[in-house]
Amino acid sequence: MSRSKFVNHKSILGWVVFVAVMLSLPLFVGTGVIRTFVFALYLAIFAVSWDVMSGRTGYISFGHPFLIGIGGYTSALLTYHLAWPLYFTIPIAVLMTMIGGTLFFFPALRIRGTYFALVTLAFMELMYGLVQVVAPELTGGTRGLSGLTAIVQGAIPNYYLALGVLLVLAISSWALVRTRIGYALSAIGLDEDVVRSCGLNVTKLKLFAFMLSAFAAGLGGAMYIHYLGSIAPRGLFDIGFLFQILVACLLGGAGTISGPIAGAFFLTFLLEWLRPYFPGPERFLIYGMIALLVYVTQPKGLHYLARSTFGRVVRITKPKEAT
Amino acid sequence: MIALLEAKELTKSFGGIRAAKGVTFQVCEGETIGIIGPNGAGKTTLFNLLTNEIKPDSGSVKLAGEYIDQLSIHERVKAGMARTYQVPRPFSEMSVRNNIRVSMMPDDLWKMIRHSGDMHAEQVIAESVGFHSSQLDHMPSELAMGDLRKLELARTLATNPKLLLLDEVFAGLTISEIDQISELLVRRKKSHATTYMIVSHDLKSLAPLVNRVIVIHQGEILTQGTFDEVVSDPQVQDAYLGAEVRR
Repeated sequence: MSRSKFVNHKSILGWVVFVAVMLSLPLFVGTGVIRTFVFALYLAIFAVSWDVMSGRTGYISFGHPFLIGIGGYTSALLTYHLAWPLYFTIPIAVLMTMIGGTLFFFPALRIRGTYFALVTLAFMELMYGLVQVVAPELTGGTRGLSGLTAIVQGAIPNYYLALGVLLVLAISSWALVRTRIGYALSAIGLDEDVVRSCGLNVTKLKLFAFMLSAFAAGLGGAMYIHYLGSIAPRGLFDIGFLFQILVACLLGGAGTISGPIAGAFFLTFLLEWLRPYFPGPERFLIYGMIALLVYVTQPKGLHYLARSTFGRVVRITKPKEAT
Repeated sequence: MIALLEAKELTKSFGGIRAAKGVTFQVCEGETIGIIGPNGAGKTTLFNLLTNEIKPDSGSVKLAGEYIDQLSIHERVKAGMARTYQVPRPFSEMSVRNNIRVSMMPDDLWKMIRHSGDMHAEQVIAESVGFHSSQLDHMPSELAMGDLRKLELARTLATNPKLLLLDEVFAGLTISEIDQISELLVRRKKSHATTYMIVSHDLKSLAPLVNRVIVIHQGEILTQGTFDEVVSDPQVQDAYLGAEVRR
């Protein structure tokens, strides 16, 4: 059996187990835990959407909240002021975010690495400033807007809704990166110039990845603020929020699908479990230390750590397979 | 014979250094051209100018009778011009097979999604450059220099080039690996009528392959001719060794 097939069967099995556990979860745990799970699911959605662009192509964006914010604000404004129905505002929010995503694309045509990260960070900060200054009577300025329409009521329906969105996004990106386009995007992350020398239009591929990322971020952002019921600039265009997304991806394993999801769950629950012992900001110190520890052990994150451990166990317990 | 490649007055300066000064030459279909010259003569720059990795300050390039100056790097590859790099640049976290897969892809998002890679064709290309089928799953970090050069070659062949620009294909290889690659180039030439431009410092390995040699020195074409003509040219010996030494 070839190596790729081996991984494929295992990962399909992994998905089935994951979906089954997640679906049956409300039977076993209380509403409080479910609410934490909802946050973990949204963080996972944002992490997966970040990873489609940054984890694959290596264009590390520090401006992902900018995209999430466009999605969130578009839907918030349309429902709050015009009372448009959600099935209308959310698609518009996604569309607006994809237009916003093209703004990321223009610097990416010319600059890479740290510079790209800084320019996208500037996007986020710019948005933070603009939302407060431009038309504060519409956006609610610094205080934002509250009392936004909910999509569904209650912890469990919201849990299933977020789970559904995450699964659709994750499984479709999982399927997509298994096509040749996934290889092409990863190749861009490894050596963009050589991808050009292979006769591929790198610009087109990057635009595709950025649009995909924006689509998921916009959808997640719009649904997230309707779950929260409120939106405020500091909550969204915030460096702390950005780092949660980044750390979730890097901790879990960037450039994979299950990595960012695992990272988001790990991070959310770690912070939640630490809360009773360290109610203040010192729990972020602990989370930072744990993240560092994982990096030092395996810079590629939990995903690879799990895979290599699993691989080692399989190798020990099974005689070597003939190829 | 028909000219496959025509470069006219290619000029490029980097600050005060003129890496190409009005380089003009032709390559005919089916020819194998050796490009030689001392270190820093501008051989790799010439390749970069042809592939558009460096934009020339002036001059033009024609491929198969068409001006390709407006074509970007990937469009030139699609037009039939592919290159290898002096220092092999494999996609480091991809297996040999996947490296070839990226190069074989059509430049069409929809086709990339719809059709999975042709595993058989990937294998044929890998084997054509001398990879053993068990090496297809190897990562570049597991490959020796000879295999890395083969991978570079396999990746360029996967784009189905008419003109192959090979930058120092023999550097760092053992004698048997050089023979293997030379043999492969000859075989490919017979089966696909591929045209080559080969940059090499290894004149001995170059000699049996080339129809013609172009000598570059300080960004200019010093002379060109058959291998024997060129190496016995006193100008060329001066460029390589310095006039003082020869006397």
